[in-house]
Amino acid sequence: MIKILVCVKSSAPADAPLVINDSGAWIERGFSHTEAVPGRYDELALEQALRLKDQISGVMVDAISCGPTREIRVLRRALGMGCDNAIHILTGEEGFVPAITTAYRLSSAIRSRSYDLILTGLMSEDMNQGIVGQMTAEFLGMPCLTSCVSISVDAERRLVMVERDIEGARRQKLEMNMPALATVQACVTPPRYPSLSKILRAVSMEIETIEADPVTVHDRGEILTRLTYPTRRRSVRFLEGPSRQKASELVSILRSRAILG
Amino acid sequence: MDNKVAVIVEHENSRVSPATLEAAAFAQELALITGSIISCVIVGGDALEISHQLAHELGITCEAVVVPGLSHYDGEAYRWALVTCFGELCPDWVCVAGTTQGLDLATGLAVRINAGCLANVEKMGEKDHRPVFSRSLFNGKVYGDFIIEPPAVLITQPGSFRYSQKSHDQKGHVQTIHLLDPPGNTRLISESRINDGDSGLSQASVIISAGRGIKSRENLALLKQAAGMFSRSSVAGSRPLCDDGWLPYNLQVGQTGAEVSPELYVACGISGAQQHLAGMRGSKFVVSINTDPNAPIFNESDIGIVDDFETFLNDFIEAAQDRS
Ligand SMILES: Cc1cc2nc3c(=O)[nH]c(=O)nc-3n(C[C@H](O)[C@H](O)[C@H](O)COP(=O)(O)OP(=O)(O)OC[C@H]3O[C@@H](n4cnc5c(N)ncnc54)[C@H](O)[C@@H]3O)c2cc1C
Repeated sequence: MIKILVCVKSSAPADAPLVINDSGAWIERGFSHTEAVPGRYDELALEQALRLKDQISGVMVDAISCGPTREIRVLRRALGMGCDNAIHILTGEEGFVPAITTAYRLSSAIRSRSYDLILTGLMSEDMNQGIVGQMTAEFLGMPCLTSCVSISVDAERRLVMVERDIEGARRQKLEMNMPALATVQACVTPPRYPSLSKILRAVSMEIETIEADPVTVHDRGEILTRLTYPTRRRSVRFLEGPSRQKASELVSILRSRAILG
Repeated sequence: MDNKVAVIVEHENSRVSPATLEAAAFAQELALITGSIISCVIVGGDALEISHQLAHELGITCEAVVVPGLSHYDGEAYRWALVTCFGELCPDWVCVAGTTQGLDLATGLAVRINAGCLANVEKMGEKDHRPVFSRSLFNGKVYGDFIIEPPAVLITQPGSFRYSQKSHDQKGHVQTIHLLDPPGNTRLISESRINDGDSGLSQASVIISAGRGIKSRENLALLKQAAGMFSRSSVAGSRPLCDDGWLPYNLQVGQTGAEVSPELYVACGISGAQQHLAGMRGSKFVVSINTDPNAPIFNESDIGIVDDFETFLNDFIEAAQDRS
């Protein structure tokens, strides 16, 4: 039996409107929680884990999320995709949460559960840092490999084999001893859609809820003091009007610059 | 007592990565703000050779952590070596370049040395004699100012800080630590080059670039058709498209792909994440098509078109064919 755990988090659609709130220190998003879906890389991590479950008998895949109630939707989706169990570390609406706090909470919940392989997405869609996975591994004292584009396991030898791409257009093949953590950048198959039968099953499945203990929060975190909108590096001119009009205006601009013949 | 700033050096075949030199430039600024002394830490079998080069070039102290047989980057071995070295050095600030390797290495290191960690630092300012770090959030739609207590690991966004070779009169010197038997829970089996073939991207004077906003692989045909309106043109794309196998890796633009500077760069359905911008900032003229008027790619564009890329490109192709 190989126990795999996938860490997931909800994200807003890339084009959902976003404004800095009155306090100037956090944002408000113009999207409802019902639109929340797992982040792109988290979905790829789920797909990667479920592929292993399809390929090897005796693989169990669980999903875990740390965040407010909206995370339940993402966990249900993970169950709908084929995960066996879901764990929710419930927090309040906390605004900005340092990555180290999330990693600490995840590792506290994971420690006693003896998973052989933990997968996380390469990075979240909102913070775009790509650091929670590595920190979680470190808190758990596990080896960790990042930016993986393919993952396989050798259950007998208790090895995780990965491929990853690094700068300079190079691809590496690596292996590590289980238990281990890998962060997922890509998967050979696109994330599967939840199946109807699994969605129906997921609705009745219980999601284990753990209250995030505010006292245990790691205090090394960074403090966000202010949010601002980015400054323009180039003075963009927005073309106006219907698409056809903008298209012919662009054609004239490019002809006048001799870029287009 | 002085504060200490340490720069962790990324190197390959005895050469220091350009992103590390940017991180060193950042570290020098940080040292000024915090009144710190700065040193570079080099781990590896060939650490000594690189340390001498770097000490000479930067005029600062270099700590060579020599681990015989460690001929390539190994996150676990590097963290183990750095923790040993930091036992004596005790840096308040640790600076690392935010490359794939830097991100792999540094965040676990932060946990291990009980430090905080801030990734993708793009700017630094000063308030009440304390450094304030800025980075983009939400794929570049907003910027956040952060303060963090030392000890802290700071990961710099490649392309955000400028290194310029300065003449200096400090000699810089090298200190050496020898370590044996690194841990071996992760092992490199092989390394290969992904693409030897030249995609011709660097010679293209017009690049039509696709992002995740193009929705399906089939839509690349429309971009190819648009590229066909120009001479010496090519399609290219953001990393997620290459990861999904829609485009070969040699057509990826950005930090881990190609750096391009064509006469015209057309970004279709690309949000404008820092890692993408790092590869196309040098373009002479940038046109962006995006349904989201607040997409950060518009901050880097000369012409902005808020529209569905498919509708617009079809109209554009038609207008470009019309010579009347
Ligand atoms: C270490 C590291 C290195 C990286 N290196 C690179 C790199 O080299 N190159 C790179 O590109 N990325 C790189 N990345 C990834 C990068 O951070 C971003 O995730 C990526 O660039 C986002 O790609 P995108 O803009 O295509 O997708 P998204 O961010 O999802 O943006 C899609 C955009 O499409 C728009 N859109 C949606 N529908 C439409 C429509 N119908 N018409 C028009 N527009 C539409 C949306 O509004 C949105 O702005 C790296 C990340 C890390 C951590």
